[in-house]
Amino acid sequence: MTLAIGSLQLGLIYGLMALGIYISFKLLDLPDLTADGSFTLGLAVSAVTTAAGHPIFGLAAAALAGSMAGSVTGFLQTKMKIHPILASIITMSGLYSINLFIMGASSNVSLIGSQTIFTLARSTFQGMDYNIIKSIIALSFCLVFWGLLALFFKTYLGLSIRATGNNADLVRSSSINVDAVKTVALAVSNGCIALSGAVIAQFQGYADISSGTGILVIGLASVIIGEVFMGHRSVTFGLLSAIVGSTIYRFIIALALSTSFFPAYGLKLVSAVIVGIALSIPAMKEHSEFRKAKREARKHA
Amino acid sequence: MKKIVSIFLIIVLTMGMAACTAQEEVQESTEDTKLKVGIIQIVENGAFEDMRNGFMARLEELGYTEDKIEFEYKNAQGDMTNLNSICQDMVNKEVDLIAAIATPAAQAIVNMESDIPVIFISLSNPVAAGVITEMESPDKNATGTSNAIPISEIFELSDKLTPGMETYGLIYNTGEVNSINTINNAKEYLDSRGLKYVETTVASSAEVQQAALALVDKVDAIFVPNDSVVQSAMAQVAEAAKEAGIPVYGSSAVMVDSGAFATISIDDVQIGAISADMADKVIQGTPISEIPAIVVSEFTTVINTKTADTIGIELSQEILDSAVLLDK
Repeated sequence: MTLAIGSLQLGLIYGLMALGIYISFKLLDLPDLTADGSFTLGLAVSAVTTAAGHPIFGLAAAALAGSMAGSVTGFLQTKMKIHPILASIITMSGLYSINLFIMGASSNVSLIGSQTIFTLARSTFQGMDYNIIKSIIALSFCLVFWGLLALFFKTYLGLSIRATGNNADLVRSSSINVDAVKTVALAVSNGCIALSGAVIAQFQGYADISSGTGILVIGLASVIIGEVFMGHRSVTFGLLSAIVGSTIYRFIIALALSTSFFPAYGLKLVSAVIVGIALSIPAMKEHSEFRKAKREARKHA
Repeated sequence: MKKIVSIFLIIVLTMGMAACTAQEEVQESTEDTKLKVGIIQIVENGAFEDMRNGFMARLEELGYTEDKIEFEYKNAQGDMTNLNSICQDMVNKEVDLIAAIATPAAQAIVNMESDIPVIFISLSNPVAAGVITEMESPDKNATGTSNAIPISEIFELSDKLTPGMETYGLIYNTGEVNSINTINNAKEYLDSRGLKYVETTVASSAEVQQAALALVDKVDAIFVPNDSVVQSAMAQVAEAAKEAGIPVYGSSAVMVDSGAFATISIDDVQIGAISADMADKVIQGTPISEIPAIVVSEFTTVINTKTADTIGIELSQEILDSAVLLDK
């Protein structure tokens, strides 16, 4: 059962990251590559502060650092008029050095034996199964941030973000500062991503400079899988679907891993095929509906 | 449509669950007959493959033949997010022993705090990695081998083969703990001898060629640490150095195999084998806490004779006799 519960925990923690990706990719309609850097930034900040004995402060600091990274990307693309993808690449590659600087020029910071939010909770609730504690922590993070973001996107600012993603020109003509709105959205998005990294660092017991490699792809896959399975309705629902998507993605990886049928080097292919199938479902659905409609039409003809 | 989605979801989840539980059942039935050893690797890489093969081959030599042992080998393929899932999978399958190759893999599994003993293979600094408090007395259910690169020996080899080198070029990526440790040691050594060095860092293997070309004009020789990023583009470093006629000293035999001039290396196969000996002790029932972690110090000189010819270095008979020669 370790794998099942563990996948749930990882899925939920990466779910925070998927929330961030959902904001930039779905709401703002912008693939934000800052994610790879800001995720590692979260790990780095959280690891360094946790090693110094402040695990909870580490999470807040990581989220703040992540939002600052997001603001930089926002600044570059709105004020400096750099192409959005390029702006995020610039921030991402700059963050690589910054992350190393934060980690004291070392590419790896160990938290094994340090007090983390997980071990703190374990010593507070003695007698409870550690796995259950970890799951509860992961779940509460997801629920709290889902709730907060759902409320946020109902506020004036939140609605402006959603409107900007739909039609920036319209928003601009309503004399709303589109640049500021975009920057705030990127800050919130990267804050979530960094927070996810921060929790992961304390969960896995170390931060490594290459932890963020490919995080954007995982986030995008999670968001799309979530949408495929839950459909797109409201934003509140969409945010939830990102978390669900992330959890399903983790289960897919666990499935690919636990089958000893494939050789070890086949892992990426196996997970790619499963994700590919999951993502093809909407197209297959459309196709089958089209054929159904055709059949119906023929019947009536 | 709803149907297709729900069917797919059900299939995935039940298969996942089934895989989780089925493995436990299978394991119970074969528990008495077969030993299960998990091997965790981060990425495909020549040095890591050698360590893994050395580990597995040595265990077979020790009598753990295929009918007695089953290897559960998993590779995160460079994706760190997979590492946690792999560790969970190993714990879930209740393997009897886990061998973790390189730092993050060892950290991830030790942090799981399972009851499964861990043998780490080739950590540059196990204490800093947090998997052990003191090398002599393992306290976290993990022990294994450390692979400090023999810096002074490598530069002494350089003095012997290519005397008079004054400026060394150091090329590495800042993202690897092993690599940084080695570079820091190298700089300390060079400083102590009053030799100069020029550093170039790369972030990905795509940048290596350019970095090497920029470096060759400024230095007399190049030293490359145990760096998987540079190693994967070693051929380009070697090519640039050959053009400029300067020697490249690597830190593993794999690098010399890809065209570097020479090294004094820890044999990766050997380090795997030494780790396997420790694994054997664990299997035989020695508690982990009584098996000290060790810094492997068995070195071999490896020289690429073709590179030596290209850059015009004469090798004395004595060296030719004592070193492992590669002709590639």
